[in-house]
Amino acid sequence: MAVPVSQMYTVATYVLAQKLKGVKRYPLVLMLEPLFRCNLACAGCGKIQYPDHVLDKRLTPEQCWTAAEECGAPIVSIPGGEPLIHPEMPTIVKGLVERKKYVYLCTNAILLERKLDDYTPSKYLTFSIHMDGLREEHDIAVCRDGVYEVAVRAIKAALRRGFRVTTNTTLFDDADPERVRQFFDAMMELGVEGMMISPGYSYQKAPDQKNFLKRQRTRELFERILHAPKKGWRFNQSPLFLDFLMGKVDYQCTPWGNPTYNIFGWQKPCYLLQDGYAATFTELIEDTNWDNYGTGRNEKCADCMVHCGYEASAVNDTFSTLRGFGRTVVATLMPTAR
Amino acid sequence: MELAFDYRGDVTLEVTSGEKIEGYIFNRNAVASPPFLQLFPKGQPGEMKIPYPDIVAIAFTGEDTASGRSWEAWVRKKESERKAEAARIAGEAQARGHL
Repeated sequence: MAVPVSQMYTVATYVLAQKLKGVKRYPLVLMLEPLFRCNLACAGCGKIQYPDHVLDKRLTPEQCWTAAEECGAPIVSIPGGEPLIHPEMPTIVKGLVERKKYVYLCTNAILLERKLDDYTPSKYLTFSIHMDGLREEHDIAVCRDGVYEVAVRAIKAALRRGFRVTTNTTLFDDADPERVRQFFDAMMELGVEGMMISPGYSYQKAPDQKNFLKRQRTRELFERILHAPKKGWRFNQSPLFLDFLMGKVDYQCTPWGNPTYNIFGWQKPCYLLQDGYAATFTELIEDTNWDNYGTGRNEKCADCMVHCGYEASAVNDTFSTLRGFGRTVVATLMPTAR
Repeated sequence: MELAFDYRGDVTLEVTSGEKIEGYIFNRNAVASPPFLQLFPKGQPGEMKIPYPDIVAIAFTGEDTASGRSWEAWVRKKESERKAEAARIAGEAQARGHL
């Protein structure tokens, strides 16, 4: 099973509690971006294109913990930039773990092996390693030779030390389904707990606006990748989200499901679009005109099928309808039936 | 104002007092009363909130950090240029102690 039972239980009870309380818009995963500085410069990445004085800014541990408490989501994902560059990252993670948040520390793993001593294995902490494919594809994606090998070494080291390790993979329109399937085999062979996959999307400020996937192409690509899944493949995400990527089910976006907090504040409306910033989480939820966003509502959202908008929709489906719950149970217990 | 908000580089604002402020605009609220923008001033800690009526002119003075960073631009480069750029970026990260 890709997600530990305790984590599934925490998420399930959290979602059910929100529903019982009648909360219409609740967050599932806090996207916490403590800095934008990275030690890679992947062509097309829109997260690191800022002047140096902005790249040098970082959230403090206190700001991170306050955001996590304010938002209340049971899961905190820490992307960036490269989080391991942040000198106070171990303190930030420790504080989040003490608050019983399930932390996914996203990293390109270049610094991971060197920094492992700074962290303590815990069911609450997962290193989510950026891997965009096998050696050739990954090194091309990150615009630097040798990064795949470094990441593989770091994954092995982290696993040896007892850390939870997953991979996160963004697929672009040049992805070869057979190579992606081989990549899944390779990651499972390494022994990672599970894999996370998502289509790339041309978010507003990304300099690469051409190589991202359109909706129909996304469905076709993921259908070819995920059909007849191998028994050993484990995905650390909602099975209904994978069904969504394959075109088996359709959802509207849940942009408040993965709210984003960074050095600018609470990002409106989502992790990908930057329509402005709110000073507090409450202001984000109450003052954002959510009806303006999502497929069919906003041209910027037209082709988006990214996890930060739709995984929360899939999770909501699991807990909102018997059909959704049934599909989730079947997909979880019999993934090869997909 | 929207162009300045979308710009991935520093701008220089001239305000009614005659002062010039250089920095990165990260937020704006055109429907607030009064409408305002927020920026990180270059070379200073903290952020500034400036009402629209106080702004006389905006100049795009800083480098557009997103310009020329597309995937196409990367692919169009010769192999030797790509290697040189990758080495430069790695060198910069190393100099900062990030590698």
